[in-house]
Amino acid sequence: MTPADLDLIAGWASLVLTLLVFSYLLGDNYLYRIAIHILVGAAAGYALIVAVESVLVPWMNTTILAEQGDRDTALMTALRVLGAVPLLFGALLLLKASPRLGPVGNLGLAFLVGVGTAVAITGAATGTIIPLAREAGEAVGDDAVDGIVILVGVITTLIFFQYIAIERQGTIRRPRAFRALSAIGQGFVMIALGALYAGAILTSLAIFSDVVREQLQFVLDKMGG
Amino acid sequence: MRHHRLLDFLATFTVISVGLVTLIGLLSERGSAPASIADFMVQLVTVIAAVAVLIGILNLISVHLGRFVRAEHGWPYSLVVLVVAVAVIALRILDRADIWSGELEGEQVSLRVFEAVQVSLESALAAIILFSLVYAAYRLLRHGATVWNVLFGTAAVIVLLGWIPLENLDVLGDVRDWLVRVPVSAGTRGILIGVGLGTVTVGIRVLIGQDRSYRS
Repeated sequence: MTPADLDLIAGWASLVLTLLVFSYLLGDNYLYRIAIHILVGAAAGYALIVAVESVLVPWMNTTILAEQGDRDTALMTALRVLGAVPLLFGALLLLKASPRLGPVGNLGLAFLVGVGTAVAITGAATGTIIPLAREAGEAVGDDAVDGIVILVGVITTLIFFQYIAIERQGTIRRPRAFRALSAIGQGFVMIALGALYAGAILTSLAIFSDVVREQLQFVLDKMGG
Repeated sequence: MRHHRLLDFLATFTVISVGLVTLIGLLSERGSAPASIADFMVQLVTVIAAVAVLIGILNLISVHLGRFVRAEHGWPYSLVVLVVAVAVIALRILDRADIWSGELEGEQVSLRVFEAVQVSLESALAAIILFSLVYAAYRLLRHGATVWNVLFGTAAVIVLLGWIPLENLDVLGDVRDWLVRVPVSAGTRGILIGVGLGTVTVGIRVLIGQDRSYRS
């Protein structure tokens, strides 16, 4: 077998799989379901390969299975123990399946949640809130009218997503001023979602035409000999 | 029951202590001791997450193996999942063993299979989303006109029409550019800042021990 033969097999496989997925346009059917299960199997296989080759093997090579070299024995023991810690925490997750030992498995999950929460807070504050709030404020300096519209849009959108209400004469309602500002915010949200929806249609249209063009090109190449 | 309470306390203590140490480290200057500890914590979590992925995939394989062995409803699909997953792993092992000879020597067959299978299937799935989106838009129009529907639809139509290179209708492109630059950017920023504030709020609740849903 040559690399050209591999390319040919890959081309036919790609064509058949694309047709299996497109068969969904005729309704949910067994051909589409086969394609989806092939995707699940392949994705599981690749995820396993990436987890082992890119994370677990390098980690074990630099800790548990590290060469001693010039390092003293105490340091090597500490390194090996440290290398085993995340594997132990990971293995604890297996206990989550047992109703009796489940709480022990929570310890591994707790480590993930703790670090994940810290990363999420830092990412949200420094990567989203601060830069976007600064950009919204700076927009006023670039163009006064557009800048004010942007500033009003950002503030009213945030008001639209808050639910502070007061009880008056037995009914719980938001203050009148907030309701008016919230309606303006809802308008901005609708316009933003409409534009994003159109963007999604355009993107999927581009992918669709590219997939159809690629497969037709392959078929025409084969027909042409 | 007492053991469970102790374990629950340990889990909460782990979340709070590990979370605070990492948070302080991430907010510290690069190269400082707290920042190095935070980097190490993130590295540990990467390894734990990889083990979790491994456990998840082994669970998926065992579930499908069980369905196939017991010949449950839909067992042929389970067989497909098992065969493909095992084939992908086997091909990677053969690649690593450098087993290919002749013209295929040094070839990464598993990567070629990845392109042929994974990329083709994902592209085709992304392509048929087009029909779902257009159908959903049609259903929205049939649902009846409200102020919000009209705003949503008008923005979508302007953005779509703005991309058509119509002669003497540059104004549509200009309107689209303004729409994307001003109201859409304002709405999107508002939504993203809201998501960010929500993330920070939930994060703080977890770090002060108010939200302990991970124990359930």
